[in-house]
Amino acid sequence: MQSIMSIIKLKNISHWYSDNRVLDNLNLEIEKNKITYILGSSGSGKTTILRLIAGLEVPDKGEIYIQNIKVSETNKIIVTPDKRQLGYIFQDLALWPHLTVYENISFSLKNMNKSEIEGEVKGILSLFGLDDYLQKFPHQLSGGQQQMVAIARALALKPKILLMDEPLASLDVKSKRKILDYIVSIKEKYDLTIVYVTHDHREAFAIADNIVVINEGKIQESGTAEKIKNSTNDFVKYFIEW
Amino acid sequence: MNRTVLLFLLFIIMFAFSCEQNTNSIVVYTTVDQVFSEPVLKEFEKETGIKVKAVYDTEETKSTGILNRLIAEKDNPQCDVFWSGDPLRTAVLKNKNILYSYTSKAAEGIDMVFKDKDNYWTGFSARARVLIYNKDLLKDDDVPQSIFDLTDKKYKAKVAIANPLFGTTTFHFAALFSVIGDERAKLFLDSLKANDIVIASSNGDVKRRVVKGEVYCGLTDTDDANEAIKESANIGVVFLDQKGIGSLIMPNTVSLIKKAKVSDNAKKLFDYLLSEDTEIALAKSCAQMPLHKGVKLPKGVLSLDNIKPMNIDYNKTAGKLENIQGYLKAWVEDK
Amino acid sequence: MLYTIVLLPVLFLLVLPVLNIVVLTFFDSNLSESIASMSTDLFMLLLKSLAISGIVAFISTFIGIVLGFSLYKSDIKYRNVFRLLILIPLFISPYILAVAWKDISVLIFDIDTSLFKKTYSFIGMILVHSTIYSPLSILIIGSALSNISKQMEESALLIGGFKDMFFKILLPLIRPSIITSFVLILIFSISEFSVPAFLGIRVFTTEIFTQFSAFYNHNLAMLQSLLLIFICVFLLVSERKRISNSVFLSIGTRGKEVKLYSSRKIVIFSYIILSFTIVFTVFVPLSILVYQSFRTGTSKFMEALSLLLPTISDSTLLAILGSIISVFIGFVAAYYSEVLNKKLMNLMLLILFAIPSTIFGIALIKFYNNSILNFIYSSFGILIIGYVGKYSFISTKLIGNSIKQIPKSLEEAAVIQGIGFFKRIRKIIVPLVLPSIFASFIINFLFCFGDLGISIMVYPPGTEIMPIKVFTIMANAPESLTSSMALIVFLVTILLISLLFFIFKKIIAKYNVNY
Ligand SMILES: Nc1ncnc2c1ncn2[C@@H]1O[C@H](COP(=O)(O)OP(=O)(O)O)[C@@H](O)[C@H]1O
Ligand SMILES: [Mg+2]
Repeated sequence: MQSIMSIIKLKNISHWYSDNRVLDNLNLEIEKNKITYILGSSGSGKTTILRLIAGLEVPDKGEIYIQNIKVSETNKIIVTPDKRQLGYIFQDLALWPHLTVYENISFSLKNMNKSEIEGEVKGILSLFGLDDYLQKFPHQLSGGQQQMVAIARALALKPKILLMDEPLASLDVKSKRKILDYIVSIKEKYDLTIVYVTHDHREAFAIADNIVVINEGKIQESGTAEKIKNSTNDFVKYFIEW
Repeated sequence: MNRTVLLFLLFIIMFAFSCEQNTNSIVVYTTVDQVFSEPVLKEFEKETGIKVKAVYDTEETKSTGILNRLIAEKDNPQCDVFWSGDPLRTAVLKNKNILYSYTSKAAEGIDMVFKDKDNYWTGFSARARVLIYNKDLLKDDDVPQSIFDLTDKKYKAKVAIANPLFGTTTFHFAALFSVIGDERAKLFLDSLKANDIVIASSNGDVKRRVVKGEVYCGLTDTDDANEAIKESANIGVVFLDQKGIGSLIMPNTVSLIKKAKVSDNAKKLFDYLLSEDTEIALAKSCAQMPLHKGVKLPKGVLSLDNIKPMNIDYNKTAGKLENIQGYLKAWVEDK
Repeated sequence: MLYTIVLLPVLFLLVLPVLNIVVLTFFDSNLSESIASMSTDLFMLLLKSLAISGIVAFISTFIGIVLGFSLYKSDIKYRNVFRLLILIPLFISPYILAVAWKDISVLIFDIDTSLFKKTYSFIGMILVHSTIYSPLSILIIGSALSNISKQMEESALLIGGFKDMFFKILLPLIRPSIITSFVLILIFSISEFSVPAFLGIRVFTTEIFTQFSAFYNHNLAMLQSLLLIFICVFLLVSERKRISNSVFLSIGTRGKEVKLYSSRKIVIFSYIILSFTIVFTVFVPLSILVYQSFRTGTSKFMEALSLLLPTISDSTLLAILGSIISVFIGFVAAYYSEVLNKKLMNLMLLILFAIPSTIFGIALIKFYNNSILNFIYSSFGILIIGYVGKYSFISTKLIGNSIKQIPKSLEEAAVIQGIGFFKRIRKIIVPLVLPSIFASFIINFLFCFGDLGISIMVYPPGTEIMPIKVFTIMANAPESLTSSMALIVFLVTILLISLLFFIFKKIIAKYNVNY
């Protein structure tokens, strides 16, 4: 892969939680304006990778570049999370339970007057078909609607990169399909790079541009869906059988 | 909204650190119950225009607050005048070098017995140790007349005293030790214990137990006895050992606190407390017996002339206390 | 930054005074003599105290579980009234409660033989302490119960019955708060002194008290207290260990719904047990107070009123200021300890909490009583410093348990979106822990409002605050006046608490906390 094309670069990253080594000298590049899936069984370190990219975790070793700028290095955060121009959808969505849908989305909008904020939020919400839920609280929405709100919130600040941590894990196939379609369309509309973490290879095969399979903190295989399907790596073969 | 909250906070912070800077004032610490001491201090304020800032405490909690406070404040005393309900605690302070020696003209009418030999404290208005009994439970013939009667089998587990580690009860026991000698006193205490004497938490608690009829009788101070009579018609009071060693008389004491400069105002209050007026006021409010000779007494208040006092040296008795305290602690805990 | 701004005053205004007297004690010439006098007898006494307080903590926590469930999980009417009533023993002075109960039991049982008396005293102490401290346990456990998300219980109910759900799901989920409740109450009980003193039981605190007030031996008392502090710190640290090892249920990120049980059996059980408790711990002692106050007419009550009225405003303001600061410090300490793993301030507050009031009072005097700091020492400031030092830890504990339940992702989501630190605190963390902020405000208020131990050591000359006045007047006053004063304190407290509840309800509504 040419490094000019990659928007995120992880170089020799190792990471421990106390004495549990989660990532082991990992090298990974994410292509710009593509949907990259990181595939692995649970506990394999997927979330940790996203958190390192986001700057929520300090790497114990190695360097991270975003848009060719060094953002983290060994034991140091150089660019703080809010300056990295990324959105993050957490595994648990992390919607603020005491704020309405409207407030959840408008919360981070700055340097705008009230009517501008209102226009902005309404614009995003109608894109996701949530116009009728402005004043509802998160727990009053269905699971699918909550995912939408979480995505809408992450996009409100118009990030370049969207990190998604298994947000669809608990949805039925139909809703999942619907949201996946959204994701593809918003990617186009917002000119986004998406890094998507999951353990579900069928989902990955359906929409991924690139797939990275990891196990025990090491990359097993990476490339297009085609390449993964034809991989000779034992773990990959075993993993996509299921 | 936010502004009101801020204003409110500002207001209470100012309230917290505002302290009245009044130069024409003095600070008094007193262990005499507030109900009785406050009116006297208020009267002094009215007569002299000097503001009195008081710290009250109570014998009920063994005056822990004030005594320990005076000891802890030693290096920078806040207090000007210490008014104690008994000479004992004053003696503790004298030993810790906290008091200032002062001779007042106002004390001339008071017997030397009630003054510290080095003038660190001066006594006035006295209480006595008495026995109160429940008339419903004890017939006239059965009422003890001597403290030594209390070891009699017929009072088994029916006599209360306050914890002798504290307050006037300590003083009472120290006096006994110095009057009848250590050996006899210890024998007496042992037989009290053998007779299952009830140890109450305070003199007030002794009063309560007698009034409620939990015990037949108990040793307490005249002011508690006085309250007991007000509360219940069936309480009798006896001055013990009138044919023997006599009853223990306990004067209030007043002392000045040693400071870089002892103020004139402090001396004024000192003198005021020793005046006949104060003694009369205290006689009225809590039946304390004046030490000035020939003070006109309100009705119902006993005069010292009617009582045979226990013959003790107050200076020495205070010293005695330190020797027997360890013994008393063991005695109480062994119960 | 904020941490340092709060930590520095805590260190300099609260911790330094204590350090000062510890150092003074250890450089005292009589130190070896004092150490020598701490015999094995003292350790036996310590064990005995631990045993008694352990029983108290066990009973209170058990009551906390049963009543916490009844109050917070069963579908009863007038829930808020019950919640308020059940708190009442917390603000009747232990001493008055002890006296009231003793009067009743003498009436009923006519206790006579001395053997029985001795056992009775122990039972009496356990009874009174359990009564006072149970509300604390109910509050702690109840708020944990109401944080369990509906699904967890319902999924368990589908598999097993109610019993299985209760013992296998509910209890394990609230284990941290059960442990917290047990340890806090153990510490409260072991450092309480007025009840054993009144009942004539020799325990560790009465021993310390004796050294203070009969022997005026500050050094020995100090050394003995160090032992007590050591034990409390040990207990709390091991509590932390246990809690951090156990599952912590979290506030649902998808919203919270509390499951309320409306089966007839449970609701009726709840009504019965709640009413019984309220009759037993509130109604009976109160009726005795009312009876004793008005037996001789209303004059004593009016007298008590005129004595106490002038003290109410100062006392209330002091307690409010004290608890606002305590809650603030408690929140900061809790946040930094739970979220950023900075535990120093927490430990400091814990030690301050474990120091007997008298010692803390003396520490404050020795530190503040000089010409430089006199402006604090001679104002109400010294009382506030005393309250804050002694009681902030309660806030840290309660708020900390709550903050632990907030998923980290809620704050991280805001970090990524560029929400600044103070806005995160104000708009996300604070609203989410608002209920426990209020709970600790109320508890702190009650403790400050009723504090006697520290106040009597440091209250400025010429001022009057309510507990002191009650106490100094109570000594020689007739029963009717004493009871009247207790009754008035009680009424004022309940009025203030109701007012606070009312204000909180408004704030909570504004913050949409009952999402
Ligand atoms: N904060 C943490 N502290 C300790 N261990 C952690 C922490 N977060 C994750 N782990 C451990 O690191 C490993 C990888 O976790 P994670 O990156 O969440 O995996 P995945 O997202 O692939 O399931 C797991 O074994 C997990 O238990
Ligand atoms: Mg994960």
